Amino acid sequence: MTDVLQVEHLSKSFGKTTVITDISLSVPAGSVFGFIGENGAGKTTTMKMILGLLKPDSGSVHVCGEKVRFGMTKSNRYVGYLPDVPQFYSYFRPQEYLRLCGQIAGMSTSQIARRSTELLEMVGLAKVTKRIGSFSRGMRQRLGVAQALIHSPRLLICDEPTSALDPVGRKEVLDLLHQISADTTVLFSTHVLSDVERICDRAAVLHHGTIVLDGNLADLKARHGSTGLQIEFSHPDDLARFRSLVPARLLADQTDTEVTVRTTDPKADMAILHLLAEHDILPVRFEALAPSVENLFLEAVA
Amino acid sequence: MRAFSSFLGKEFQESLRTYRLLIMVAAFVALGVLSPLLAKMVPDLLNGTDMGGGAILRVPPATALDSWGQFFKNISQLGVLILVIVDCGIMGTELAKGTLTNFLAKGLPRSTVIWAKFVSATVMWTLCYGLALLVTWGYTLYFWGNGPLSHAFLAFTCLWVFGVLLIALLILGGIIQSNIYGALLAAAAVIIVLNLVNIAPQAAKYNPISLAGGTVNLLSGHNTLGDYLPALWICLAAIVVIMAASLAVFDRKQL
Repeated sequence: MTDVLQVEHLSKSFGKTTVITDISLSVPAGSVFGFIGENGAGKTTTMKMILGLLKPDSGSVHVCGEKVRFGMTKSNRYVGYLPDVPQFYSYFRPQEYLRLCGQIAGMSTSQIARRSTELLEMVGLAKVTKRIGSFSRGMRQRLGVAQALIHSPRLLICDEPTSALDPVGRKEVLDLLHQISADTTVLFSTHVLSDVERICDRAAVLHHGTIVLDGNLADLKARHGSTGLQIEFSHPDDLARFRSLVPARLLADQTDTEVTVRTTDPKADMAILHLLAEHDILPVRFEALAPSVENLFLEAVA
Repeated sequence: MRAFSSFLGKEFQESLRTYRLLIMVAAFVALGVLSPLLAKMVPDLLNGTDMGGGAILRVPPATALDSWGQFFKNISQLGVLILVIVDCGIMGTELAKGTLTNFLAKGLPRSTVIWAKFVSATVMWTLCYGLALLVTWGYTLYFWGNGPLSHAFLAFTCLWVFGVLLIALLILGGIIQSNIYGALLAAAAVIIVLNLVNIAPQAAKYNPISLAGGTVNLLSGHNTLGDYLPALWICLAAIVVIMAASLAVFDRKQL
């Protein structure tokens, strides 16, 4: 798999504030890449450097093998960009706006007509003829997806595409991203971890301007193994006996009959199982907790 | 070139749909009507005014030159103010709102944005200024007949060039500050400084502000071409420098 996007040793500061410190990441073609980070972690700054809208202090960015130069927007023909709050000319109708976008991107009139019909259909704005000024946030976001895709880019960059939306709008936009990922590589930033879990196959965690975790989501989960066990006993006495057998620091979140055990790998899980058997304790439930993106994230930024 | 024509088309559409063009056309046509009417009415209004002590004011009847005098005064004050108000958001609003991002991210060169905005604003200014000129000319002809005007073309061009200077300033100010206040500040600061410089009589010849109001003296034959040409050249040079600065600053601007 070739990389659509390669970021190498990128750093950026504004005045005395360092926002990005020496980050490197690559996005393989065909992937849906989740760029995770808290508010202010530097996600938007990174994306703007990829688009040549901000000038990196050091490091380089390549899109489809072409070096991105600040202020020069040649490499942007491969890229579609959806800003966090996309801004439109309120006096345009969606069709008119897409026509202008297509013209700027250098498309022919017939290409523009075909592509805008296709995209407006896809984002559910085909029948909307009112001006963008009266659009709801969800509609703007969907039009934002359409304008970003008008020139059939190879890489779509979305900056927190779901953060300002209600649950319905969020689902619509996520479904859209999932739908287009069939032929477009998607990089999207978010701090909503369930979004990542839902559509991403790769992810990187940005924390205080550095990448603290990066890779294939399935690999990451496997590498970080199980994150714990949930054990339920039939009687509080069983729990008390069990507690006397394991170090207290491993135990968390307990009720009378239920306890969560922090473990880091399957071997530890097996050891707990052996321990229970040795001491003739029969739990009513023994569950290995699947690692979630949330756990990965919290672990990474801890 | 296609990106330029598309973006220029967007600028004109914006002027139409946000009523900017309509407001400017209406205001300038009104100024065009007002100038000859004021020139015509002022003597009638003032004549016979009792100045006290038995003195009665007698004002000579207006001439075509009074009408043009009003025209230059109105356009260089109210007209220029309207131009500044209508065009102050031309660059600043886009940068403040971030509406350019979608297009820059599609490969629209930054210089294209600036040229499209400069050309559209200049075309609008030319249209409105020309309309006001035509209307005043028509009324002046009707009231006073076709009198001789010296250096008419240059006299009218001077004020137009001053307007173009303001447009360039509004663009540069908007880029530097990324809002309309930057544009207003740039235009206001330059007008104030030029007016201050104008206090020295020997500077007037080189001062672009003299293009704004004084050219009626050229029409009347009071002044000669040589009195305005240095200021005109300096103004044109200033426009070139300001536009070059706008391009350079915008190219380096982090968005």
